[in-house]
Formats: sequence, C-alpha cells, structure tokens
Amino acid sequence: MNVIEISNLSKSYKKLKAVNNISLSIKQGEIFGMLGPNGAGKTTTIECVTGLKDYDSGSVHIHGIDVKKELQKVYEIIGLQLQETIYQDKIKVSEICQLFHNAYKNPIPYIDLIQRFGLEFKLNSYVQKLSGGQRQKLSIILALIGNPKLVFLDELTTGLDPEARRDMWAIIKGLRDEGRTVFMTTHYMEEAEYLCDRICLINNGELIACDNVQSIISQSGIESEITFISKNNDLKQSIVESGISSNVIYNALNNTYTIYSAEDKCIARTALLLESMGIDYSKLSIKRSTLDDAFIKLTGGNCKNE
Amino acid sequence: MNKRLMIISIEFKLLLRNYMNMFFALFFPVMMLLLFGEMYGNEPSEFFNGRGGMDVMVPSYICMIVAVTGIMSLPLTVAQYRERKILKRFKATPIKQSDILLAQIISNLLLTLVGIGLLLTIGKIRFNLHFYGNPILAIIVLLFIILSVFAIGLLVSGVASNGKSATAISYIIYFPMLFLSGATMPIEMFPASLKKISNVLPLTHAVKLFKGIWFGESLFDFTKEIVILLIVIIVCMTLAIKMFKWE
Ligand SMILES: Nc1ncnc2c1ncn2[C@@H]1O[C@H](COP(=O)(O)OP(=O)(O)O)[C@@H](O)[C@H]1O
Ligand SMILES: [Mg+2]
Repeated sequence: MNVIEISNLSKSYKKLKAVNNISLSIKQGEIFGMLGPNGAGKTTTIECVTGLKDYDSGSVHIHGIDVKKELQKVYEIIGLQLQETIYQDKIKVSEICQLFHNAYKNPIPYIDLIQRFGLEFKLNSYVQKLSGGQRQKLSIILALIGNPKLVFLDELTTGLDPEARRDMWAIIKGLRDEGRTVFMTTHYMEEAEYLCDRICLINNGELIACDNVQSIISQSGIESEITFISKNNDLKQSIVESGISSNVIYNALNNTYTIYSAEDKCIARTALLLESMGIDYSKLSIKRSTLDDAFIKLTGGNCKNE
Repeated sequence: MNKRLMIISIEFKLLLRNYMNMFFALFFPVMMLLLFGEMYGNEPSEFFNGRGGMDVMVPSYICMIVAVTGIMSLPLTVAQYRERKILKRFKATPIKQSDILLAQIISNLLLTLVGIGLLLTIGKIRFNLHFYGNPILAIIVLLFIILSVFAIGLLVSGVASNGKSATAISYIIYFPMLFLSGATMPIEMFPASLKKISNVLPLTHAVKLFKGIWFGESLFDFTKEIVILLIVIIVCMTLAIKMFKWE
C-alpha cells in the first residue's frame, strides 16, 4: 500500500525550478530516503508534500488525503522534523513537550518518549542550552508525540558528530520496526545506503533515480574493480577469453592485474579461473561501486560524502 | 488542560522570562512614578491645574504600559516567531498558528494588567492616589484603548519581515509616543510645535481620553478622541487581517 503518492510535483521560486515534475510513491512501513546535494530541492519537496509550502502544480496524497484540500487531517497523522527549527526563547524541554502533547488527540505520553531517548535529565533545561544531538532527539520526540503513522525527517543527522549520528540511525530503524513509515532526506550517501529500504536521487530539482540501493548502483552501470597480484604476466588473454571481462590491465611495475566488470559474480569467477589454472596469485580483492559512484555517474555531479 | 489555555499559560511564562518586557512593562512605570512622585508629591498643585501630580500622571503611565506591551512586546515576539520559523513549526501540528498569536495577545494583555495593578498599588500606598471617575466606565475605556494600541501592534506584527524590522518599526512608533503623547511628561509642558506633532499620535488621544475618564469627566467631551481611536482600530485591524504574513 502506498502511504504517500506524489505526482508531477513542481515548485518554483521565481525563475528557479526548485522541484521539477517529481513523481514518487512511498510504501507503508518503509524507510524512504531522498538523497541529493545541498540545494537539490529536498527541503522544498518535504515542505510541499507536508503542505508547509504551496506547490505550483501536481498533486500529493497522504494516506489517500489530498494535502491541498484537507491539510488539517494530514497534520493529525504525520510527525515532522524540519531541517532548521528554533523554538521559542527560554522555553524549557518539558514546556515544549507539553505544548505539542496537548495538541494531539491520542498522544504518546511525552515522558515515555523523553525516557526512551534519554533526555529525562534535561526536562528542566532550556531548549536553547541543549547540545546538537540532544536537540535533534527533542525534535524527534516532538515529531513522535502525536503517535504518527508517518514521520518526515529533513536532514536529521546533518551537523551531528559520528556517535550522535549512529544513535540517530538506530532511532530511525526503531521507528520502522514500530511500523511507522519514514520519509527522510539526507545528503550523506552512506547514511542512505545503511538506513533506507528505498531511495530516490534528486539533483537540481529533478528526480534521477528511484529504487533500492543495489538496483540503483547496478542501474548506473558502474563497474567493480577486481585486483590481484601475480608474477605471471601472461594472464590477460585467458581472463578475456573466459568471458569475465574484456577490460583487463596489467601493471608490470607492481605485478598487479586490474579487471573492470559490472558482473555480480566476477570475483568468484576470477578466483575459480586462477585456481583452475594453478596460478600463483595473492591479494585478490574487489572494490565494489558505492552509491556515491552511482550518484556521480548518474548526475555527472558530485555529492559530499563523509 | 484545555488546549488554548495551555498555550496561553506557556506563552505567558515565556513572556515573564523576557527581562526587556518585564523591565518596560513593570519596573519602568513604577520607577517613573517613584521618581516624579518624590519630586512633585501628590498634593493638589497649581502646576497640575489644582490636581495632585501623581493623580494626573498615573493614568498616562497606564497608557505607557499599554504601549509597551502592545507596540513593543507583541510585535517583537510575533515577528521573531515568524522569522525563526516557530510559527511554521506549529503549522504542521493540530495547533494552529492563530492559537499561538492569540496566546501572545492574551499574554501581553495579562502582562498589561499586572503592570497596571502594580502601578496602582504602589501609587495608592506611597502617594495615596485618588480616582475620581466611574470604575466600570474606566475599565471599559481602558479596554478600548488597549484594543486600539494592540491593533497597531498587530499590524506591525503582521507586516514586519523579521525581528529586526519589527524592532525598528516598534521603536519608531513607540518612543515618540512615549515622550510626545503625554504618557511620560504632561503635554501641557510642551511648546506649540511639539503639541502639533503630539496631536498626530494615537496614544496622545488615548492619554487624553483616559485622563478625562479618570477625573470623572463626561465621555461626550471626548468624542473626537474616541472617533480617532475607533478609526485606528478599524484601519489597523483591517490592514492587519489583510496583510498578516504567517511566513
Ligand atoms: N524561500 C526560498 N526562496 C528562494 N529560493 C529558495 C527558497 N528556498 C530554497 N530556495 C532555493 O531552492 C533550491 C532548493 O533548495 P532546498 O529545497 O532547500 O534544497 P535542499 O534541501 O536539497 O538543500 C536551492 O537552490 C535554494 O537556494
Ligand atoms: Mg534542505
């Protein structure tokens, strides 16, 4: 079942096409990631989908509800973390939680969420005084208070240190395990690779690909790189003839063979070949292409990877 | 707790944690009262047309408090909420942005009342303040004045694009009003040229009206002031509703 149906969504700021004719469906219970560099149009997409921005054309349905027509109904069932949220000056953690808790019909007791995310000792602190990681935890708590079926997370982990980021990853997986659907954006490739059941790549407001990570990598047609070392400098012919790949390079300086192949089983086939020929070799290894490579190939652009 | 009540109680707490508001709405008027009260006392004096100095000044200090909350505190907070996307964050919940705005208006109203209460109490205790009018009429007129001043504030809140411009606009409106409306210094002391400027300011008319009611004069002597304030309410409210920017 599709929880979100986006069709032909477009949004321009004056002349700039921030979102250009995007269509997507997000399935019940998946973590869906929207991936793209800064300025790609992720935030604009999320804000259009959640009715915070008016879009120019297209349509968005959440749980079958037309976002343009019945926005209030949508706000009862979604939870949202915005990329940059600042809360009121001098508001305390407990107060902002009360404020949100009070808003919903069937809220999760906020104290449960506070405990689950380990912020009990911060209940009486000013939100301003929280660390980056604590503030992101708070924004997740606020997104969850309404017990939403669907959670939107916009660059939740940007600016967090590696440890806090890993905490967040565990939390996001936890959301899916509770049966919630997650729509998240990120510009970290490895985050999307690790977390998301399906992703879409977006660049300059346009959708480039949408699938699971492995399919996107193979779609991009990027070849893996197999290397091994052997003093036998006469293997090129045999490798090409065996059908593993026609793209084989031998570097005589360090006795290294490099084979480029898009085929999934290429490393096993190489090993079998070498063994069957009784060749003396070492350090057989494969460097598989990553989402990052795929992104660069697909966009001809670049995407920050940390 | 009722949803709106909860929002109001939290917004009011936040307002009380803002030292600027506390200073200008609570302490500054009391400071003025004590300062001028010690200088002039509250005995009937020729300088104040045979009235007690503080009896004359307190109604105008009350208008000053209304100006602080309505023209400074309210627009600043609302413009800041908009600039920092706090209003936007609430839009995506079943809380309405208008609930937050309403809570801000009511919180500032409450702060106004606290400020007035404090001023009256200290005035009564220290200078044996006299009130000559009809209390119910005075309360109604005060609410009318609050409505007109808050209408100006709402308009500023609605159109200021960010906290900085709200501050600028508020100061441009607030400080001339503070010194030229008779809220801090009696208009009677002004030279003719200043009186002219003073006459353009809505707060001048509010001060005049409220002083008159305080001293038991008839409402009908102030038709001009009432009409001016009514126009302010209608124009500002209409513009505010038309032009209010939520983002
Ligand atoms: N309010 C706005 N007015 C004008 N341009 C904007 C506005 N918001 C975003 N943009 C532009 O739209 C493009 C997409 O922005 P955004 O959706 O924030 O990207 P992302 O979230 O992927 O970093 C960027 O070029 C950005 O500069
Ligand atoms: Mg963004």
